[in-house]
Amino acid sequence: MSNDPSPRPEPGRRPKLSPIQGDPVNKRPDLEALTPRQRALRLAVIREFKAKKVRKFVEKQVEHVNTNRQIVEGIKFLFDEHGAPPRNAPLEDIVAERRNIEYQIRWFDAVLAELRNRLARVKEIEDYAFETLEAEPLDD
Amino acid sequence: MVAPLFLLAPPRSYTSLINAMLGQHPQAFGLPELCLFNGKRLKDLWIRDSDEMSDESRARQGLLRAVAEIYGGEQTRATVTMANHWVAARQEHTVAEVYQELVAKIDPLMSVEKSPAYSIALDRMLAIHEAFPDARYVHLTRHPVGQCKSVMKMNDGAFALYVNSLEFFDDHAIIEPQFAWHDLNINILNFLDIIPADRKLRLRGEDVMSDPPSQLARICRWLGLRDDPEAVDEMMHPERSPFACFGPLTALFGNDPNFLRGPTFRPHKVKVPRLDEPVPWREDGKGLHPRVVELAQEFGYR
Repeated sequence: MSNDPSPRPEPGRRPKLSPIQGDPVNKRPDLEALTPRQRALRLAVIREFKAKKVRKFVEKQVEHVNTNRQIVEGIKFLFDEHGAPPRNAPLEDIVAERRNIEYQIRWFDAVLAELRNRLARVKEIEDYAFETLEAEPLDD
Repeated sequence: MVAPLFLLAPPRSYTSLINAMLGQHPQAFGLPELCLFNGKRLKDLWIRDSDEMSDESRARQGLLRAVAEIYGGEQTRATVTMANHWVAARQEHTVAEVYQELVAKIDPLMSVEKSPAYSIALDRMLAIHEAFPDARYVHLTRHPVGQCKSVMKMNDGAFALYVNSLEFFDDHAIIEPQFAWHDLNINILNFLDIIPADRKLRLRGEDVMSDPPSQLARICRWLGLRDDPEAVDEMMHPERSPFACFGPLTALFGNDPNFLRGPTFRPHKVKVPRLDEPVPWREDGKGLHPRVVELAQEFGYR
């Protein structure tokens, strides 16, 4: 390890900089040091971040829904106006395009699988809810 | 049993590439991000404590891919299903027991792992020390400006927000990644204070990127591994790792998606920014915090 001649705090006790200490957001961090106003500002940042994330996700989905159109656009350069492949198409471009298309298809498959998975889970919850209602009808 | 090697660093510090390079050494086994020490028991990785941000399903995929590869010999939907059963059978085990089981299975190869999430909390690193008292640690550093720019570029700074790296003003707050750069490195330094000098090594990621063969050979000598040209050449091909690509659909990640998309090492000159200029992710033209500059200088950045 490098040797630093400047005086250091006690081993294992170097102070931190962030006003929030402790665990990350999904593990209930210690927000004691924050004022109520700062806590509200923190929530506002998280909300804004989530909204931006959703917007980007939707944009990306739309982009991937249009995969067929994109593929057509993407491979257009591999053919001339008569539909024949150009004699001098660089092999690297063809390989890169093939990889790109494969990647997009794989990505799309993954999104579909994830959506199917979520749908299955929601259906399960829905079925369970209906079963529970059937078994225990509400009092008139 | 060969003691494992852990790379400790905040995310976006060349950890994926260097972990895969070291893992390609003929006497080593590079693991994906297991994130095991994020919790105490294995089932903790499947439990959510808060709804403030989305769940951590990606954090589990490294473990599933590792189990699929180690026990099934390949990563397919079938072996990932097997890995899910393997995990379910051990859900009450401590993460230390699970990790020790994996290391024993890999033995006599040296396991190499980096999960940047370990540097978030001192407790996580102390748990590693408790599980593996003879483990070795490489503290990888990256220039604060380069690392923070990279963090902000990835999912709009999601990681910085995840670790509450925020700066507050009177009427608003902003995501400020340099707090995370500072505090995560401080966590690592605080932890390494208890580790004997011969079992820890600090490296600047930029130095490794500038001259990988000599830096990798240096790490090998420190680890007591072969440093002959054949071994070094093998480490120059991180893309040969079974984890250097997307996994099957049921466990796609387990590492930085950018690395999974392009794991090949391409020699390049690393530009090291100055410490005294305005930082690009802030709109108010301010630069690095004095304590960030001080710590960066301690790491050898000027």
